[in-house]
Amino acid sequence: MKTNFKDDKNEITKIDSSNEKKDLSPEEFEKFIIDSGGKGSFMVYRSTKKDDELGIDEL
Amino acid sequence: MSVHTTDSNLQHSIENIMKNLHNESYDDWVTNFALNLSDIWNEKSAICLKPNINPENQSEIHSSIVIGRGPSLKKNKHLEMLANSDYNGSIVCSDGALIPVLESGITPDKFKKFYVATIDPYPYAKKFYDAEIVKKYGPKINGIFTSIVNPDTVNCARDAGINIHWIHSLFDYAEGKKSFNQISASMVRAKNHIDGLPGLQTGGNVGTSSWFISWKILQCNIVSLIGINHSWDEDDSIEKIITHGRTTDPERKHESVNIDKTSPSFKKLFKKIYNPEFDCNCIIDPLFQFYSSALKEFISRSPSWLKTINATEGGVIFGDKIHCMTFKDFLHEYNQ
Repeated sequence: MKTNFKDDKNEITKIDSSNEKKDLSPEEFEKFIIDSGGKGSFMVYRSTKKDDELGIDEL
Repeated sequence: MSVHTTDSNLQHSIENIMKNLHNESYDDWVTNFALNLSDIWNEKSAICLKPNINPENQSEIHSSIVIGRGPSLKKNKHLEMLANSDYNGSIVCSDGALIPVLESGITPDKFKKFYVATIDPYPYAKKFYDAEIVKKYGPKINGIFTSIVNPDTVNCARDAGINIHWIHSLFDYAEGKKSFNQISASMVRAKNHIDGLPGLQTGGNVGTSSWFISWKILQCNIVSLIGINHSWDEDDSIEKIITHGRTTDPERKHESVNIDKTSPSFKKLFKKIYNPEFDCNCIIDPLFQFYSSALKEFISRSPSWLKTINATEGGVIFGDKIHCMTFKDFLHEYNQ
């Protein structure tokens, strides 16, 4: 079993900010979160008022 | 359907998954808030940290360095470089980096504008403040905490002498008057804080939160990032990567992991990414995809007067409106 990713020289994914999640399904993501026990995070706030997503000065 | 639209939909789906997973802890957040409320009433809003300056005035540099705890910190000796510099801007330290930052000589004795932030509502964050060196420098450190942070965490920081400042972390504000964000805000405004507290977009992690703090609260027009890789190095162990670093956490390394390294989805989950700005490869796991997509989106939506400089010298934070340079060049060019 390989111990890291260093030898995978032919498997580089060249990305820009718009295509990095290509091929990753929501189901795979959820399974990873559960299986890896990923903690130490929080959620991203979303709103139809897009300016609010950048923060509210006085709440 | 375009690739961009597909990816936007996927990001939306992933964010909903994270929202649902975190909402399982909703009761704990309410409990945390209830236990924090009397302290919130008696302590300061983070708005007190907002300077009376105009960040849009480009003739004046107001800079900050956001310090995460990515592998580049050690690899590139960034803490040593900063400790030995005469940088005079703000330092916004993620809670997980606080102890190594102080131990490296980056202290509020030398760097007067020193801040630390905690946004995670989970109890494990207490350990980031539970050290003698934090007690030594705590009274000279300004801490920024969300109203739902675990009380044991903020109590530990308070006992260390850190000056506590409060914010709300936005998560359900858009759901109206009966949302927890709005109800808890009303309760906070009921005593002393008549103008409430700042509501912060966290981006799902303290590094992104620290970038928002630099912009929205500290009013910086230059924000530099170090230790914000949002990825692993390709020579990190595969066990470390698939557990999102849990193998290095003494409190959690015993927890079992159930990821099939031979499954077809494995290589889609853990992609090797080439960063052309720093000419390096890194490995991105799904959680880092979630974090990095959000941070890059928010940077792309930031105002033109705000310049974000990634001086991490690694990782996956590159793209629209992100200026990449070495940390050495940043310290040379933007020291005040």
